[in-house]
Amino acid sequence: MMDWYPLWNSVRIAGISTIIVFFSGICAAYYVAKAPRLVKGALDALLTLPLVLPPTVVGYLLLLVLGPKRGLGAFALEVFHVRLTMTWWSAVFAAAAVAFPLMYRTARGAFESFDETLAYAGKTLGLSNSYIFWRIRMPVCRQGILAGTVLSFARALGEYGATSMIAGYIPGRTATIATAVYQFWRTNDDAAALRWVLVNLGISAAVLLVVNLLERKNREERKWL
Amino acid sequence: MKQVKSLLITAVLLVMVSCGGGDGELTVFAAASMQEALTEIGEAYMAERQDIRLVFHFDSSGTLQTQIEEGAVCDVFISAGQQQMERLDEQGMLLGGSGVNLLENQVVLATEAGAQSVNSFDALKCALEEGTVLLAMGNSGVPAGQYAQKILEYLGLDEAALATSGQISYGSNVKEVSTQISEGVVDCGIIYATDAKAAGLEIVDSAGEEMCGHVIYPASILEASTHRDEAMDFLSYLRSEAGRARLEAYGFAPFGDAPLA
Repeated sequence: MMDWYPLWNSVRIAGISTIIVFFSGICAAYYVAKAPRLVKGALDALLTLPLVLPPTVVGYLLLLVLGPKRGLGAFALEVFHVRLTMTWWSAVFAAAAVAFPLMYRTARGAFESFDETLAYAGKTLGLSNSYIFWRIRMPVCRQGILAGTVLSFARALGEYGATSMIAGYIPGRTATIATAVYQFWRTNDDAAALRWVLVNLGISAAVLLVVNLLERKNREERKWL
Repeated sequence: MKQVKSLLITAVLLVMVSCGGGDGELTVFAAASMQEALTEIGEAYMAERQDIRLVFHFDSSGTLQTQIEEGAVCDVFISAGQQQMERLDEQGMLLGGSGVNLLENQVVLATEAGAQSVNSFDALKCALEEGTVLLAMGNSGVPAGQYAQKILEYLGLDEAALATSGQISYGSNVKEVSTQISEGVVDCGIIYATDAKAAGLEIVDSAGEEMCGHVIYPASILEASTHRDEAMDFLSYLRSEAGRARLEAYGFAPFGDAPLA
């Protein structure tokens, strides 16, 4: 009897992280794309950093902030009696941190190639800024935003390093597919490790197939425009 | 044709020289729990023997065993568990007659200094049964984890059930477990006395022989070693007066001169 908890936990962590980085990434992309050049360069480097840092560095930094003896972690423990580490949602911090740059960068790219005259046209027609954003800018940029979302989900699903540092490996609580594979390999349980590898391959392949289908659909729609 | 041949020979020689790791370089694979002690001993040893350079690799003994089986270059292996050494012996990978029982350690229940989460193995049993504690231990491939499994069994606890209900955090070597205790992300953990000491943790209880048996660290030279004399010399240094004194300073108990059983 196989314990399916890591699958459910991985999907849940990746799903929640994707929702978080979807909004925060788009927000950051929107403002950075409009920022003056100097600020833009600095902000961009800062926001992209988690993409190029080793996951262990991200994990260490997260522990510096969220660990029960430090900063925010000590505060949460003191005031709310909640430990921010070693729970299933601790892994969301790690997954969101490493997935954020992917969402942010692809969304920013899409926003920068957006034809601003469309927004100006909307303004001359008296449309509100939020209407222009949601009904004009977002639909035009949907390709990049969709790609960023899918990439973020895939990256969050594959997070291992920072996750294992901040959430550890507690079967039935913080185990994810990635950490389960590592534990099974280290304890010489090759059969279990291989099963989870196949599950992971299946999910990743399915995600990529969905992306391809969406792209094709998009292209066909464009033909009629 | 002749030129090609000599070119090939030069290339092969070059590769051999660069892979040999130079003369007098001794690679020591040792249990993670020996990191602090061996690093210090190694420095003292290298100061004495200018011609030998020690290269250490520390990880869980189970991982080291796998790496040696996969062909990693290693001259001396010091394991925290007998089982890992025996596996290598069965495969004929150890240099016959070179094995010794190097030292003895103790398995303890440790908490963060002054944490007062649990104060004994009995209290741990109660807390685990009530579901009010998060225990860290090594996984089943790590010697410290294997000792911890024996202790849980001795206490009459069902490890699988505790793991499923999310009360056990598994570390992939003993240092990971002690870091989790000192960072306060778990309530307590089962580690070695030496690791607790090195990490400044509080030892609240020690496991007796009846709970997990003797914790003996065997050491051996590998059959494939190309530095047997240097390896022999290092092992005898570890068992010399000076070596023992340093091991004792870290909380290890040097073992007698009995050869490996």
